[in-house]
Amino acid sequence: MTESKIVDLLAVFPDLEPAADAIEHLRSIGVHDGCMNVISGIPVTEAMLGRPSQWTNVPRIALGGALLGFGAGFFLAFVAPYLYPYPIQVSTQSYVPGPPAVVVLFELTMLGMLLSTFLGVFLDSFFPNYRPMKYVPEVSDGKIAILVECPYGDEMKIIDALKKSGAESVRPAEAQHL
Amino acid sequence: MDIKISEVKLSEEQAGKWGLVIDQDICTGCQACVAACAMENNLSFVGEEDSGYGRSMHWIRIERFWEGEYPEVKMTPNQPMMCQQCGSAPCEPVCPVFATVHSEAEQLNLQVYNRCVGTRYCANNCPYQVRSFNWRDYERPEPLPNQLNPDVTVRRRGVMEKCTFCIQRIHQAQDQAKAEGREVVDGEFTTACAQACPASAIIFGRVDDPESLVSQLGRRSHGVKHLEELGTLPNVTYFKGG
Amino acid sequence: MAEKKNHAEHAHGEEHLRKKHLMLDPLPRGQMNAMVMESMHTTSWKFWAVFGLLAAITAYGLFYSWGVMIAEGLGVAGVNRPAYWGIFLVNTVFWIGISHAGTFISAILRVFKAEFRRPFTRAAELMTTFGLVQAGFSIFMHMGRVWLSYWLMPYPNQRMLWPNLHSPLSWDLLAITTYLLSSTMYLFLPLIPDVAMARDRSTGWRKTFYKILALGFRGTEGEWTHLRNAMNIFAWAIIPVMFSVHTIVSWDFAAATRPGWNSTIFGPYFVVGALHSGMGAVIMVLAIVRGTMKNMKYFIRPEHFEAIGKLMLIISMTWAYFFFNDYMVQWYGGDKWTKQLLHFHEAGPMGWMWFVMLIFNVAIPWAVLWNRKWRSTPWIVFTVGLLINVGMWFERYIIIPISLSINRMPFTWRLYQPGIEIPLGIGTLAFFILLYMAASRLIPLIPVWEVQEGQMAHELKKYGRETVVTVSELE
Repeated sequence: MTESKIVDLLAVFPDLEPAADAIEHLRSIGVHDGCMNVISGIPVTEAMLGRPSQWTNVPRIALGGALLGFGAGFFLAFVAPYLYPYPIQVSTQSYVPGPPAVVVLFELTMLGMLLSTFLGVFLDSFFPNYRPMKYVPEVSDGKIAILVECPYGDEMKIIDALKKSGAESVRPAEAQHL
Repeated sequence: MDIKISEVKLSEEQAGKWGLVIDQDICTGCQACVAACAMENNLSFVGEEDSGYGRSMHWIRIERFWEGEYPEVKMTPNQPMMCQQCGSAPCEPVCPVFATVHSEAEQLNLQVYNRCVGTRYCANNCPYQVRSFNWRDYERPEPLPNQLNPDVTVRRRGVMEKCTFCIQRIHQAQDQAKAEGREVVDGEFTTACAQACPASAIIFGRVDDPESLVSQLGRRSHGVKHLEELGTLPNVTYFKGG
Repeated sequence: MAEKKNHAEHAHGEEHLRKKHLMLDPLPRGQMNAMVMESMHTTSWKFWAVFGLLAAITAYGLFYSWGVMIAEGLGVAGVNRPAYWGIFLVNTVFWIGISHAGTFISAILRVFKAEFRRPFTRAAELMTTFGLVQAGFSIFMHMGRVWLSYWLMPYPNQRMLWPNLHSPLSWDLLAITTYLLSSTMYLFLPLIPDVAMARDRSTGWRKTFYKILALGFRGTEGEWTHLRNAMNIFAWAIIPVMFSVHTIVSWDFAAATRPGWNSTIFGPYFVVGALHSGMGAVIMVLAIVRGTMKNMKYFIRPEHFEAIGKLMLIISMTWAYFFFNDYMVQWYGGDKWTKQLLHFHEAGPMGWMWFVMLIFNVAIPWAVLWNRKWRSTPWIVFTVGLLINVGMWFERYIIIPISLSINRMPFTWRLYQPGIEIPLGIGTLAFFILLYMAASRLIPLIPVWEVQEGQMAHELKKYGRETVVTVSELE
């Protein structure tokens, strides 16, 4: 599908400034922000490149995990003691001990939250993913790459814009094994 | 504001059920109770070396102290020490697997051998230091296995154990009484240590029955409970210097 | 003001500042990558000799000895009545303490944006994970029937038996599990971009290894955003988890009815003690990494030892404060058993340990670390770190087996003599170093992307005649 209508271009920039220029330039010739993606070896914020904010589900997933963890803690602290054939008495403490329940709720809430935060990264970034992908290893040397999806026929215009903004190289992107 | 104390169940008011009374003044320190307990409860024989290194396996021990410096030493009365069957036992809440719990029916402190994973937290938290740990699988050469008590579990290495107030005898007496349609009579049975004591320094019975011998003896004014200040509610009363 | 000094500093000026601070001395990213890759690939025969020796010690000390102990029972160890807990628990507390430094450096310093942390966050986090592994070994060794240890886990079973959540040991299990899992995840998240870097520069089995670890990370905007968010959540959330872990470990003791243990200050006292030994261990690891691994002199500089040394000094003071606080209250309380115990600590047969503890934990760090030059010298801070770790191990030894020797039943008083605990303890130490050595050659020890990010954020600026370092907030 994509092959017939869209060509992916991969432009490599030596630095932040030309990359930001290129994005501006592309936008001015009518390339949508949604058709661009930036690949970098350090976390370059959206603001630095003048890109729209990225949506992330990680905090929401973390919150969900925290709630699940709290639920598990609640079960262990308040429900499990009554699941025995008969409640077990230790010392003169109540079946559901108060302060220890706080400890259990805290630990399991944190465990749920942190596990789901970790899982959230996997879900949001589609990890693990060992399929071929469009990539240039130079980005881990500090270069910044811009991946542009351009409609068939517009390549020349876009390549020109990228080159003018200071791209070191522009080539059609090919999915490869990383 | 009206504070209704009666609504607050003070733990001190919890009555025990079974109890011991120990008269240190008439204890001769003969160790018959120690031997009887070992036979009754299938205790392992740990041998000289381990025993000398603080790994003796006794559910009851006779503590002997002296006062003063040699040669002017004065012996103090012998002090038999065993699990005090606390009403509020510090050993119970600290076990992560519920291997030692409070029996609400018998008001005893139970040790569930097959549940124990051997963290030894209970023994650390016992102010009376009366818990014994199975540091090894101790040998029981022939013909000693023939005298094992069939009513008592044999413990393996890695398990904590302690005095049970001869709970197997309690149950036997209760079953007998139930079969005969009556209540257990005071003095009908006793623990192995009390049975073996030639001086009758150890008396066992119902502390919740005011007419029982232990209750009557316990009302004497000079009885003490060890480390009572910790709020453990022990069920063993000691008499010294009466 | 000190004009002479100002003048002298001008003489070196910028050059001097650049040499001193990694963040002002940037190299091209590609070069830093190559340096880190080279450090991973370089192993001398000495490395393999030490590696082999440690592997042998681990095999004998940890696995064989443990097998013997499982088969024979705990009788081969030195635990007895009344010291039911011995070196196993000392080591557990010790290793959990070591593990606190990683989180302190990578989470607290990250939250407070302490820039000097950048090159060694991973080196510290690795200690957390591997230290917790040893703590786990130690606590399992301690159990009488370790093959039934899964009974501590809450899982549905036919008899509907759940763990006893009244017990501090159950809280311990929850807290240590939480901490082990979260610190491992927190180690892994910032590692992803670095293994992706390594993946792009390797061949053969290493390529496969890094490819699997990198999970297909490319560095797209989305990936970075998710990662940044997650790391931020982790940095904040793991701090209370870290505090809870050692507080709960302290409650194992503080919740008990024993004289000397039943202290309300044990929570913070243990947390600070953990950081004390942890920082000492971090500085030792950094000194070794800098001294033995290729290209590390660029990344780890005297400024880092200086900064950690300052933290060590503060932590040592805090530890002394808590120690004295605990001591004062126990001493003043006048409980006869506590009095007896305090006397036993200082004047008993193991009294020397109590004094060595104070000398190693307080006197020596204070005497050395106040001096900037001394605390910037790797071998000096290495020695101080080593002594602090010995001192902190002694502290746990005093709290556990020595304090257990004295109780309210004088008839049972008895000293504790370690048995198989010694090879087992040495085995955990060997295994820790072994894991660390293996990891140092398998994963990039320096978070290159974090270093580059930091170098981007730093610059020199002139205020009047003076050149100063400025940092811009990029995150």
